[in-house]
Amino acid sequence: MKKIGSAFAYYLGVTMCNIKMALLTIVEYPSNILGWVISNPIQFLLGFATIKFVVEQFGGINGWSYGQLAFLYGISVLSHAFSMIFFVQGWFMGFFVIEGEFDRFLTRPLSVLYQFFFTNINVFGFTDLIPGILVFLYGCAKTGFSFTASNMVGIMALLIGATLIRGGIYILLGTTSFWTKSANDFGQFVQEIFDKTTMYPLSMYPEAMQLILTFLIPIGWVSFYPVSELMGIETAFSAGGMGVWITLGVGIVTMIAAGLVFRIGLRRYESAGN
Amino acid sequence: MITVRDLYKEYRVTERGRGLGGTLKALFKQEEKIIKAVNGLDFYVGKGEIVGFIGPNGSGKSTTIKMMTGILAPTSGEVLIDGRNITRYRKEAVRDIGVVFGQRTQLNWDLRLEESFELLRHIYRIEKKDYRETLEVMDSILGVGELLNKPVRQMSLGQRVKGDLTAAMLHSPKVLFLDEPTIGLDVGSKYALRKFIKEINAIKGTTVILTTHDLGDIQELCERLIIINGGVMMEDGNLSEIVERIAPYRTLAVEYYDAVVPEHAKAEILSVSDNVVRYKFMKADMTAAELIRDLSELYPIKDVGIEEAGIDDIIRIAYEMKK
Ligand SMILES: Nc1ncnc2c1ncn2[C@@H]1O[C@H](COP(=O)(O)OP(=O)(O)O)[C@@H](O)[C@H]1O
Ligand SMILES: [Mg+2]
Repeated sequence: MKKIGSAFAYYLGVTMCNIKMALLTIVEYPSNILGWVISNPIQFLLGFATIKFVVEQFGGINGWSYGQLAFLYGISVLSHAFSMIFFVQGWFMGFFVIEGEFDRFLTRPLSVLYQFFFTNINVFGFTDLIPGILVFLYGCAKTGFSFTASNMVGIMALLIGATLIRGGIYILLGTTSFWTKSANDFGQFVQEIFDKTTMYPLSMYPEAMQLILTFLIPIGWVSFYPVSELMGIETAFSAGGMGVWITLGVGIVTMIAAGLVFRIGLRRYESAGN
Repeated sequence: MITVRDLYKEYRVTERGRGLGGTLKALFKQEEKIIKAVNGLDFYVGKGEIVGFIGPNGSGKSTTIKMMTGILAPTSGEVLIDGRNITRYRKEAVRDIGVVFGQRTQLNWDLRLEESFELLRHIYRIEKKDYRETLEVMDSILGVGELLNKPVRQMSLGQRVKGDLTAAMLHSPKVLFLDEPTIGLDVGSKYALRKFIKEINAIKGTTVILTTHDLGDIQELCERLIIINGGVMMEDGNLSEIVERIAPYRTLAVEYYDAVVPEHAKAEILSVSDNVVRYKFMKADMTAAELIRDLSELYPIKDVGIEEAGIDDIIRIAYEMKK
């Protein structure tokens, strides 16, 4: 226990140092900041405005009211934002494989995956948090979701789980580069799929696709199932009030699986000839 | 300190088409070409040695260094750093090593040098006091103190290499690996680098393994040479012994008063320019004194110069070896 504690303190110390360096790097390139702070939130708020338009036209989506949709959308954007902060590097794993960029991580006494994500921690990701929080709070107000202690803990478990699911999938996709030896540029593509399947009720989609996104790729657990339960909406799954915890569990399992596959992939790492 | 046992490395180069189709195909159908980069190396390096690791381009030097530093997993065989298998116990074993690749940097390009050092101080859990001390030593050897506040991207190559050398020494590693550290450096930086290697070896007893194309580096630094070609060991031993064995000859340059070209049965004429004739002879056949005596009986000699048989010949032979 003491050993785990000191290991945690150690990684925390290194992480703080990495965050400081990330902030210093931003200061070096101040012109980038404006773009991020303005364009990212606007993109998501526009997306939300589209939902409002659809709901006003049709009176709801698959039995979801406007407030419930806002809640779902908010959770989706929040978990997206956290995954952008901590795991967006996964999108560029192929580049690291091909250019031999893992070399310097391998010669240091730290987990390679940890260094990969935290050396370039993306503090800009917080700009996506802003629209996420706004829409989420709006949804809470509309649906009367109250901030009791157990609700708060549940939302935290949900967000952590959802972020881990997204991050784990980024890693799994990025890791294919160890086998293909090419830089698969899947980032935008994957984000689009995540957006389309986690911002709106999954029940909109054909049943076959729902099955795939529940069992094969656990995207349904990022937002749809746990939020349905919190909102009291019936789904094919009844999680017995444990929806958010299942999400957390699925997130942890996905991340562990991703870590194991990464380890296997790393054994195939060949650096780069000079 | 370092044990390399029966070490092999094969690279798998997948040949694939372009685009998504090619990528998918590569994922399922492996059309691989195998490159055997290292083919059964065995050696031991003791504490405090400075070893020159040389061989022609593509002979597997960098591949071997990458296996010794935990970057690449060997196809078979093993590398022990101070008794620890670096592939299996990477996180523990790399604490004992420092690594600098001449063409790459571990420094953060966008930030001041000191910021990168600060991160390393956390990563290696270096006490502030030890950190200051090491930095002072490095400053006295390399003059790195004045660079601490400089953004790395604004540095010259020489300054950046100094930064990387210091970064690699912050945690006082037992072994330092340098792959082509002098490549592209100006004379002053090269000199500083050699001084650095000699001093850390003398002061801290650091074991150093370096690859280089530079004759001066080897001449000044290495007592021991390991020469590889095609991933196979060609020579391993004392520098002067290897010279003796591979290039057991000397060159004598003789300047005459006139433009004459006297010959000698046991010496080969390498070149003639103006009144100077250069003779190559085997050390085993005769001494330089004997050659001079014989030649002076034919024509009066104005001046002579002996070129001690050549590390440069060794390097040339090593680097020109056919694959
Ligand atoms: N990452 C790599 N992928 C595939 N082949 C490589 C890679 N790195 C080196 N090689 C090949 O392995 C052989 C040895 O290369 P290397 O170890 O870099 O030699 P050296 O450092 O002595 O020049 C060469 O044929 C080289 O082309
Ligand atoms: Mg090389």
